[in-house]
Order: sequence, then structure tokens, then C-alpha cells
Amino acid sequence: MSGPPLENRVTSTSGNHADNNTATYSATDSAPPAADGSSGAASTGDLPAVELLLDGARAGYRTIEVLHGITMAIPSGAVTALLGANGAGKSTTLRVLAGLIPLRGGTLSWRGEQITKMTTTNRAKRGLMLVPDERAVFATLSVRDNLQVIAEASGHPDITPALEAFPRLQERLNQRAGSMSGGERRMLALARALLARPSVLMVDELSLGLSPKVAGELFAWLGTVADAGTTVILADQYTEEALALADMVYVLHRGEITFAGTPAELGASELLAAGAHS
Amino acid sequence: MTSIDLALTGISLGAIAALSGIGVLVTYRTNGVLNFAQGGIATLVAYVFREMVVEWGLPIWLAAVIALAVLSPGIGLLLERLVFRPLARRRASAAESLVASLGVLVLTLGMTAGIWGLGSRTDAPSIFPRESVTLLGDTRVGVDALAELALVVVFCVVLGLLAAKTRFGRQVRAVVDDRQLAELSGVPADKVAAAGWALGTTLAGLTGILLAPQFRLNPYGLTLLVLETFAVVVAARLASLPVAVLTALGIAIAQSELKQFTFDGDLGTIFTVLQSNLFIVALLVLLLVVPRLRELGNGDSGATGSFSSRGAPPSGPISRYEARRDILGKLGGAALLLAPLTFAPADLRSAFMVPALALVFLSLVILTGYSGQLSLGVAGYAGLGALFTLKLANGDFFGLPEIPGIWAMFLGALLVAPIGLITGWPAIRRRGLTLALTTFAVGAVVSRFVFEQPDFASGLYVDPLTLFGAELNDKAFYFFELVCLAIGLLVVRNLHHGRLGRALLAVRDHTEGAAAVGVDVRNLKLLAFTISSVVAALGGGLITFSASSFATDDFAPLQSLLWFTAVIVFGADSAAGAIIAAGFIVAIDVLAPAGSSILAVGILALALGWMPGGLMSAVRGGIAWVARVLADEFVPSPHTDHAAASRLTGAGSAASPGGAGRAGGAGAAGSAVRVVLPAGAPAPTAFGEALLTAVATHTARSGLALETLPSMRAAADASADGQNRAGHRQRLPGLPVERGV
Repeated sequence: MSGPPLENRVTSTSGNHADNNTATYSATDSAPPAADGSSGAASTGDLPAVELLLDGARAGYRTIEVLHGITMAIPSGAVTALLGANGAGKSTTLRVLAGLIPLRGGTLSWRGEQITKMTTTNRAKRGLMLVPDERAVFATLSVRDNLQVIAEASGHPDITPALEAFPRLQERLNQRAGSMSGGERRMLALARALLARPSVLMVDELSLGLSPKVAGELFAWLGTVADAGTTVILADQYTEEALALADMVYVLHRGEITFAGTPAELGASELLAAGAHS
Repeated sequence: MTSIDLALTGISLGAIAALSGIGVLVTYRTNGVLNFAQGGIATLVAYVFREMVVEWGLPIWLAAVIALAVLSPGIGLLLERLVFRPLARRRASAAESLVASLGVLVLTLGMTAGIWGLGSRTDAPSIFPRESVTLLGDTRVGVDALAELALVVVFCVVLGLLAAKTRFGRQVRAVVDDRQLAELSGVPADKVAAAGWALGTTLAGLTGILLAPQFRLNPYGLTLLVLETFAVVVAARLASLPVAVLTALGIAIAQSELKQFTFDGDLGTIFTVLQSNLFIVALLVLLLVVPRLRELGNGDSGATGSFSSRGAPPSGPISRYEARRDILGKLGGAALLLAPLTFAPADLRSAFMVPALALVFLSLVILTGYSGQLSLGVAGYAGLGALFTLKLANGDFFGLPEIPGIWAMFLGALLVAPIGLITGWPAIRRRGLTLALTTFAVGAVVSRFVFEQPDFASGLYVDPLTLFGAELNDKAFYFFELVCLAIGLLVVRNLHHGRLGRALLAVRDHTEGAAAVGVDVRNLKLLAFTISSVVAALGGGLITFSASSFATDDFAPLQSLLWFTAVIVFGADSAAGAIIAAGFIVAIDVLAPAGSSILAVGILALALGWMPGGLMSAVRGGIAWVARVLADEFVPSPHTDHAAASRLTGAGSAASPGGAGRAGGAGAAGSAVRVVLPAGAPAPTAFGEALLTAVATHTARSGLALETLPSMRAAADASADGQNRAGHRQRLPGLPVERGV
């Protein structure tokens, strides 16, 4: 087996409960297993709770397997960035989390509850919201209808918060969403997500096709969303903005996780190593 | 009868056509599927309704409730769940949905014909009393017409209110715009789509039950009648309910007004036909006149690339192995086609139909598979080829002398070329649904105005073919058919290879892109249309000589739909698929009861939702899948150990994937967790530590070892000289990093 050596490694050691305390970083075992409750991590106080836990996930399209059994924990209330080159599996991971692609193996739990089989609609209704990278707005509907569809579906039929967050949309309420510029469409997509008041907001390729200025604004907005306590998951290529925002980074390479850690730990070598394979 | 009386008699038919049109529009606006199955479903429900009333003796109201409140919506829900939801899930193109709806049409036709036979029934019950009421003066109007009109108004008002500004209307538009995004927004897209389907099929059932007593109940006849009401939908440009209703009433009233005129001579004949076929003529005229249908989605409904089992043929030199395999395959195919020569005479005659049908299918391969144009009127060209051939052979063709059968066949096929060219003209600017409907209308008009007219199509006799004065026996005729097929294959090969083939594929896959790089899209499309019509005409001539008679039913408009579906099912761009499809259909027709081949093609078409690219592609994919599963089971690969790992640990009996000896019983519970960093690694930040521990804790408790991370396996290899501390993983170094190091 070959691959770039990594600074960080995470492993679990089999052993009995008593050995637990000898571990350098130990987790108390009194809490129920993660699959049954998120309190496992939260109860220890200094550990962030795990919002989503993807466990041995395998997924793909037709005959092609894209994710080869990845395991990934998304910390609650923080910004997690999925980085990687084109085709690394970032979007597929998000689509799996949103329920658009069924898992062929492995499980997905959300705050300890198994949601592997939950439909996309139900996940969205309960606050697991994906803003996909393309076609993220209803092109044939007006901006107002775009906002109202999601506002009504989520049970908060007031669309003013979206207009306050993105005043530019106010002028375009009656315009067809498909006729707006790329940046405005991204804004509308994010505004829609905002209206649903998600507890987990997943954004795919926020900066794709946007000018640096607009992308910067949107990243800044995402920062405020995260500060308000929303769990944010970003999938992006290696952008400084994404790294600056992230609390936790997963690097994917050809459907496998090659790095898990904080942005500070993510050295230049990973960026180069993973980027070189793209 | 006065004009007013005539108008009132037309109202009933107009109202029914309006209901049918509303049903098609509802299905289209909620699901983006132009439901060709409308006719088939209407016929099926009408037959079940008649069965309940006439055979079982149920009261009419009960039968109506069962048929309209249970059966019809049930069909819609079933179709949505089993056929169209899988298609929508993978964002299939409108063309694929169209084929699926054709599959449903073919399937319902096969069921109706299989259960009740192809004969006509005249005892279809009517749900409204056959009475009439007096309006102003002495004009009388049927109760049924009034009731039907009332139904139309009710549906229009309710649907109009729903679609306008309600939450449901918005959800419908969102689902139609982008079903996936709608789901991501928390909109119950599946329910919205299912509601659309249920309403659409209920209206279809209603149409069938109302139409059946007015006409003969006959599987093909009633189905076609419903399909003719597509004129209404085209006039509405696939969008406007009021326009659809007004057009329906307008055409129906105009049709009955025509009854007060009569003409003599040839014009009179045409006029008589027009009196009962105004809907189909209106369909064709409207398609040529209406500027653009308001199609849903991004307008790529013409993309037929997804029907294809493969792309362009290799243009460079191919390996000797592939060349050998190719030649072996062709030899095998030729041997199979020659096999009937050894059959008993009766079986040989059954096999006559195979090359003939294969040629018709090849014409569709050229048109749909290679140049990406949907054609639902191929039976028209085939029938014209047959008709011209017989006319030439009988010496009945505009004063031309009698021509020997074989040459008449080739000449007849060539004479269809100009017709193909002319009818191909509208196709230049049309794609997808519009083109599909236009070709269907052309086929239907040709069938009604030519094939079904005694002036043109009666008194034709089929003499045995002769070559150089000698009469061809059965074997010689079959051999002659094979020669024709070989010519067709040669044409296909030349169209598919080289610059022409690449240009055609470019037009198919991206018309605008092809035009942008200088491909003459216009003439290429015309070329494909013309050649395809000639090949179809040759096939039609052979069909007639195989059957020894010219039968109108062989070239009925619905036949086009069946043939088109068959070609798509067997792989639209595969010449071999066309021949296999012909063999398949003929074999089933010979071996199984009538209608079985229709049923089989219908079932296969519905399965297209799960096997894009047709049967051939699915077979290839299936073999590849089995091979991969076997390989996964027996041969270790970089990925299979992950699967094994998650399986084993998921079951609670932990074992190392590599068989390295992880102790049994180290399940989810009671695992200690530690984060191990290799020597020389920089110390993580405090937050990083917390995160790593959290991840490790959760993964350990879920029973999955994080050794599935390839990076860790790699690192384990890299530090094989480690301290063997970490229990189950022998070579892993254990270097616990102290907090704050």
C-alpha cells in the first residue's frame, strides 16, 4: 500500500474499559455508543459533539464506485471543509449526506440517529440542507417563488430574512431566476437555504465560477451563519477562503480520505501531494 | 340538420377531447412527460368498465366509481412509482420519458389485445343517460354532452385555481423545474409527481369510458382516437388549459359542420375522409404552424444520446484481437440469418418477416440512433414503399408500364426518397417532442388518407417475384431478402463510419456544437431522413411480399410507435440490435399467442428506466457487473478490503481485513481510543486534538476501525519497524503524543 505519509493518524485500540484511562486522549465509555446518541462526545465537555457520522460509506454512480468506504465525523456547530481535486468525491460525499445517492455500504447517522434510509425530502425538512454546485435554483421560477417554495416547505413562510441577508435580491423578486448572473444565482441559492433555517448547511463549490469579490462576500456570509451555531460543510477545491473559514478539514483523494485534521495541521505537502494527482 | 344542431352534436366529442387534452397537459406540467400512453390507458379502462357492466352485471355507477376512482388513479400511481420515478431520479431526458410512455402504451395495448382480442365491441355502456333536453326553440342537446361540458369546466376551474398562486401550484412548478432541487428544498416531490400522474390517468380513463360508446370499442381504434386529441395539446403549446379546451371544441364542432357539405370526384373522397379525421389533420397542421411548444426543462428533449449503447466506431487502427472478434461476430450473425434456409417450408415462410422487419428497424437506427431524430411515423414510409412497389408491379402507377417485382421494389423504395425529403423538411428546425409528434402525424395522415382509401389501396395483387424470367421459390426469396438486408447494412455502415458518421453523431449529441464547428446540420438531417425513408420503404415492400398481400394494418400509425419502441429497447444505434429485434418479435409472434410480442416489447421498454442504452447495453453492463462482483470476492483489490472491513465490523465480529490477526471480540463496546501520531510529526493544535479524539471515539464506538483510511495503512507500511504496541495492528508504532508537546 502506498500513498503520501501523513502527520496525523487516528486509530482505535481494542482493549477493555480499564485500559481506557491510560490512553493519552481517552474518551469515557459511560456514554452510549455513538450510533445511539450524540451525547457521547458532548458529555466529555471539551470535545465537540458529532453532528453527522459517515461510517464506511461506499457510494457511486451505476458501475463506478466513487467513495470507497470513507469514514468521516462532522463536528457540530463548526465549519468542516471537504477539500480535494476534481473527481475526488467531495460532491458525492455531500450528495450522500443529503440522501441524493444511496449508500451501497456503510451507514450515516445524524446526532446519533440512523438516517441511512431517510429520504432527501425528510432530511431537508429536518434541517439537513444541501446547496448543490450547479442548477441550485429553479431557473423557470421567479426569485420570489424560489424563496417561497423553500420557505413554505420548511414551515417558516416569511421570506424577509433572505432579503435582509441579500438586499440585492429585493430588486429582482419578480425576475426569473434563470436570467440572473452566476453570482446572483449563488446568492439566491444561499438565501433559499437560509430561509429553511437548517441545522446543517452543506455548500458545494461555493466559489465555482464566481469572481473573487463575490466569492469573498459569500464566504464571509457563511462565516456569520457558522457563528450563529449552524453546522457548515463546505466542499471546495483548495481555496484559501475555505481553509480560512474551516475548523476541520478532510482531504479526499480518489474517493478516500487522505487527511483529517485542522487547517493548521494541513501542511503544504498535502496540498501539493493531493493536487498533483488531479 | 342546421348548423346549430350539427354544432351541438360536435360538443360531446369536443368535450371528451378537451378532457383528454387536460389529462395530457396535467401529466406533462407536473412530470414533464408527454404521455403517449394516454390512449392505451383510456382503452384499457374502457374495456375494464365494459367488462364490469356487461359481463359481471355491476350497476353502472359502481363500475364507474371502481374504474375512475380506483383503477385509473391506481394505474397512474403505479406508473409513477415503477417507471417514471426511476427516470426522474436519474434526470433522464424528455426523450427517454417519451420512450417509457411509449412502452406503457405498447404494454397496455398488448394487455388489452391479449385479454379481449383485437375485435370490435359495440356494447360499451354509457355512464350518462342517452336522453336529450330541449334548449331554446326546438334544438335538442344530449344530456351526455352537457355533462361532459360541465366536467371540462369543473376540471379547468379547479386546476386553474390550483396552479395559480397556491402553495401546491408553486410546489408543482418547482418539482417540474428540478425534481432533485425540489427534494433538497424539502418539497415532497414524489407526492407531487404521483398526484399529477394519478389525475392524468384518471382523465385518461374518463376519456376512454366516454369515447367507447360513441365509437366501436377496439384496442387499436380507440387508442389512436385518443392519441389524435394530441392536436389539442399542441395548440395549447403544452401549456394553456383554456386554449386546449377551446381548440378541442372548435375542431370537433368544425368536424361535424363539415357534414353538411358534399363534393363529387376525387376532392369529394378526400373531403369525406376529412369529415372524420379533422383531429389528425389539425395535429399535423398545428405542428407545422405553431412556432414553438413551451417545453419544460432546458429544451434538450431531442437528446437521444442516452439511447445509444456506444459512441462512434473507432476511427484508428483496431487491434487484431478486436478485428478477429468483430469478424467472428459478423460470421456468427450471418450464419444465424442463413439458418432459416434449412427450415421446413412453413417455418421458412415465418422467417420471411425477419429481414423485412430488420430493414424497417435499420431505417430507425439511421434516423434515431445515428442522427438523433425521433421518428414515430416509420410505418408511413414503409407502407408507401409497399404501395409504390405493388402499383409499379401491377402497372398501375401513373401510366408507367408493368415492372418486374424485384425492380419495382427498388424503384418503389427510391420513389419514397422525395417524400422522405419533403417530410424531413420540418425536421430541420424541430427536435424532440415536436419532431416526434410531427412524424407521428405524418404517418397517421398517410395511413388515413392513402392506405385506408379504396381508391389507392384496393385491387392490388401480389405476384410472386421473378428474376430473369424464373419465379423465385421460397428459399430464393429469403435469399433475396438477405441481399436487401445486406445492402441496408452496407448503407448503415457507410453512414456510421468515417467523416459522415462522425458528423452525424456530432449532430445527434450536440446539434449547436456541430453547427459551430462547421458541420452542415441541415443537409445532414435531410440526408438521414431521406436515406432512412428509402430503407424503410424497401423493408415495407419486403413485408408485403412476405405476407403476399398489402394489409393496411401492417402500416397503421400505432405500428410506428411499436417499431420505434422496439428499436430503442434493443439499442437505437446498433445495427445488430435492429436485426435481433426483428428476430425477437417474429419469433415471439410465431411461437406465442398474438399480442405477446407487443407485450414483451412493452415490458422491455419499461425496464429502460433501469437499463439506459437498451437491452444490448444492459447485457454488456450485466456481464461486467458479474465479473466485478466475482473479482471482488476472489481477488484482493485496493477497494475490496474496505467493503470487507465495514461488513465484518458492522456485524460486530471484528476481524482484520488483511487477515493480520485482529483479536476477535474487540467489538464496538469498550474500545479505548487513542490518537497516535508518527515520530517527527508536528504537534496538533488543541482544537485539532479534540477533533481527532472525537472522530476516533465515534468511529471506535461504531465498531469500525479507522484502518480503512488508506493514509493510515500507508503510514503503517512506512513505519513497519515500529514498536508493535497497538494490539491488533502488529506493525503500527504507538507514539502517544503528550498534550502540549
